[in-house]
Amino acid sequence: MTESLFFISILLLVAGIISIPLLPHYLRARVNFIFVFLIAIASCVPAVKVLSGDCIDIITCKTNVFGNIIFHLDRLSSWFILIINLTCINGAFYGIGYMQPYHQQRSNLSMHWMLYLLFQSSMLWVCMAQNGLAFLIVWELMSLSSFLLVIFEHQNKSTLKAGINYLVQMHIGVLFLTTAFIWVYFSEGSFEFSSIKNFFSSHSNLGLFLLFFIGFGIKAEFIPLHSWLPQAHPAAPSHISGVMSGVIVKLGIYGIFRIVLLLRQDFTIIGEIVIVISVLTGLYGVLNAAVLRDYKRMLAYCTIENIGIIGIGIGLGLIGMGNGNMLLQILGFTAALLHTLNHSLFKSLLFFNAGFVHQQTQTTDMEKLGGLIHTMPQSAMLFLMGALAISGLPPFNGFVSEFLLYSSLITGINSIGNTYVILMVSSLTGLAIIGGISMLTFTKSFGTIFLGVPRTYFHQRPREAGWIMRLPQYFILAIMLSIGLLPQLYLSIVQGIVSSFTPSVTSINEVMPASLLGSISAIGKFTLLFILLLILIYFIRTRVTRSHPVSVDSTWRCGYTAPSPRMQYSGKSYSNSLGKLLSFVVIEKKKYKKIQVNEIFPAERKYSSNYNDFFMTRIFNRTVSQLLYFLDYFQFIQNGKIQSYILYGIFFIVLVFLGTIFNII
Amino acid sequence: MISFILIIITSLFFGGIIIRTKSITSGRKGPGIFQPIKDIIRLLKKGSVYSKTTSFIFQIAPSIYITSVIMAIMIIPFGGYKGIISFKGDFVFFAYVLGVGKFFNIISALDTGSSFEGMGASREALFSMFAEPAFFILMGSLTLLTGHTSFQQIFASLHFGSYISYILGVLATFVLVMITMVENSRMPIDDPTTHLELTMIHEVMILDNSGFDLGMILYATNLKFAMYGALIANLFMGTFPLYLTIPIFFGMQMLFAIAIGLLESFTARFRMNHNAQYILALSSVSLLIFLGVLLILGQFS
Repeated sequence: MTESLFFISILLLVAGIISIPLLPHYLRARVNFIFVFLIAIASCVPAVKVLSGDCIDIITCKTNVFGNIIFHLDRLSSWFILIINLTCINGAFYGIGYMQPYHQQRSNLSMHWMLYLLFQSSMLWVCMAQNGLAFLIVWELMSLSSFLLVIFEHQNKSTLKAGINYLVQMHIGVLFLTTAFIWVYFSEGSFEFSSIKNFFSSHSNLGLFLLFFIGFGIKAEFIPLHSWLPQAHPAAPSHISGVMSGVIVKLGIYGIFRIVLLLRQDFTIIGEIVIVISVLTGLYGVLNAAVLRDYKRMLAYCTIENIGIIGIGIGLGLIGMGNGNMLLQILGFTAALLHTLNHSLFKSLLFFNAGFVHQQTQTTDMEKLGGLIHTMPQSAMLFLMGALAISGLPPFNGFVSEFLLYSSLITGINSIGNTYVILMVSSLTGLAIIGGISMLTFTKSFGTIFLGVPRTYFHQRPREAGWIMRLPQYFILAIMLSIGLLPQLYLSIVQGIVSSFTPSVTSINEVMPASLLGSISAIGKFTLLFILLLILIYFIRTRVTRSHPVSVDSTWRCGYTAPSPRMQYSGKSYSNSLGKLLSFVVIEKKKYKKIQVNEIFPAERKYSSNYNDFFMTRIFNRTVSQLLYFLDYFQFIQNGKIQSYILYGIFFIVLVFLGTIFNII
Repeated sequence: MISFILIIITSLFFGGIIIRTKSITSGRKGPGIFQPIKDIIRLLKKGSVYSKTTSFIFQIAPSIYITSVIMAIMIIPFGGYKGIISFKGDFVFFAYVLGVGKFFNIISALDTGSSFEGMGASREALFSMFAEPAFFILMGSLTLLTGHTSFQQIFASLHFGSYISYILGVLATFVLVMITMVENSRMPIDDPTTHLELTMIHEVMILDNSGFDLGMILYATNLKFAMYGALIANLFMGTFPLYLTIPIFFGMQMLFAIAIGLLESFTARFRMNHNAQYILALSSVSLLIFLGVLLILGQFS
């Protein structure tokens, strides 16, 4: 049954890829959505079955060289498959509306939709592959298809540059992964994931884990490996950024999870490393998000922040494993997995929303926007809900996973000895600061983009999004609210997954104190109470003020009567004091000429200021320029003459030949 | 339930006591202690003026603000008695529910498109962000000390045994008082009586609110004062019987209000651009509490 569904999904993929270019152009996006939907159903059915039952082997091919090529479904992969499908369906539906303005680029578009199908399937396969080699192949398929999706507007120079940056960085990641797999192969003689387990039980775990962590961390963008993301997201079409930020980044998390489950020793040191990196990642991401004025980049940095939050959960789980503290282990992993779902929901919502704003205004600079709430009230409302959720505020889902994380930190403080108390308390502080800054970030972005008066005049007045682009957002909103109001339901699913990590525990209730489960459902209950109380108070307010006289006038400006939109508080000044305080992390580059003493009538002058990424400007660019300087000495090798290039080849072959003869290699 | 009712009662005269104290220290007689609440009731009856720049956010934000404060008050326990809402880790819910109100308060200020209100909003967001770690470290230390994670259990099992724990009590009170000042934008952080928009935080955010909405916001401020007062009172109530704790509660609230009045009379406002550092220093006081807790638990021996 499962096997046949798997083959059906492959057939669907092939059918989709063949049929999309043959169809009339106005149908392609819709047909793509139908195929995405069908593939999603074909892969969700077994996934749902696994979530409530046992693992399923899909296919096993026996090969002599590479070991058994296994595609296997367990609860962890099922969870990620569900997340992938959910986000991909939303993205495909949103894409129907979003790609409408590009309808003239027909061949480019059909390529785009074919790749979208391949992208979805390759991500699904990544979650199923249990053999290093097969894993690397589908991983590569995913990276390549997403690269081609990112450079949809390849005629745009900056898009191409961002795309190539993404491609290169992904391959640096693959390099680490390949090294890790080959290491295991040489030691255990197999590429199967089970042999990694054998490796871990007989060798030190730290080195191999770090290799995997770097490889997957580039995808998941832990600092300082994050630099592809803030460039790739603004360049990609918005439904792609939504899916990338919502899901592809999560596959890095999936990889880390997969390896964490195979670990056999050194849990605590690995957990400490993961926690420290994660807290720093979270702080760094949110700090950059707070100061940036390009709202797509802001969202990209915000993804980095959320990866940090997920990482804290993983690290806590690891420390729990190391100390034999089941409760901490379960809580940490649960928080991480739930936040993975939550982040994929609100981040795709926000990206879809931002994409529409971008399409209507043709700018990603929030300082040029303002007052959009009057022209697109529904989009504004959706953005606001997404902003509340991502700031981790009730009544939405973000709060549930952050609450779990706080609970696990408090559990850590209370139940594990003094070694970890300082680590836990500093993580607690870090999490509180992350929450505070993300509130600042999102009040700033919402306020600057949607509130106030328009800062620039648009010849084409921005309009409200069509229903095709709004519907997926409402759908996501509904799921987010359901998580916020019925957290115990989702928690029981996630705990089913986590309990499969710890075979010794038959039921979660053995470990989890009832009061904790009670407080999770209490959150949902009291969140509902909050909403009801709000409705009551608002109802009273409208009843009472109905008879009151109401007048409308301009905003108070200290009696000044000729206001201009430029007098509004800008987003830059809103976050300026934070940026100034932490200027050693967020580096501000200003360009201007000072007024000279002898300039009596100053002419028009320019002032520009932008924030640079600390790691990119201070570390990577410097290293690269040093490296380039050094490598310049070897430029004579690349002299452009074909003859010498052939000579190099011959030279190399001779070298290998001689090496084999003299038994050097 | 009992704490909810008592906090509502306290909120009726809390602001009045502060004003009365300030009047007396400056040599005036001052209004009666119920004057602020009378002002609020008068505001609730008045009509409103809305800016034409504003949207539905501006209309709904004050309601959300006061709802969030009421929700937060429901979490506050009363000595050994639970609040209406009580579960493990409820102090996280407490902080985040207040956060919702703050979020809407901030965006409603931005909704007016004013040059002043954005400034207030920016400061509010920044300062409350800096005050957050102090609260969480304080609560983290208290959970470490008592082994419990809900307000009611923490306060019920908080005993001041040794000398260090007295110091902890004093420090915790100090942190909570300062957090109150930050959250309510009072004297050392913000001067509510200043006449210049550029130097305000909270007051400048609500420049455009009027009538019923303004009344709700002002009442929410009073509620917030009483709420933090109740938290501080809880530090000292323990599990005494009710006939002792209720007088202690009101006594603490009075003392707190008078202390705020005195603080406002005799201190000047901090320099605005150094405020962030001052508030961050609060976190280090919280860290002192944390170290104290480690000392008590004998982690250093």
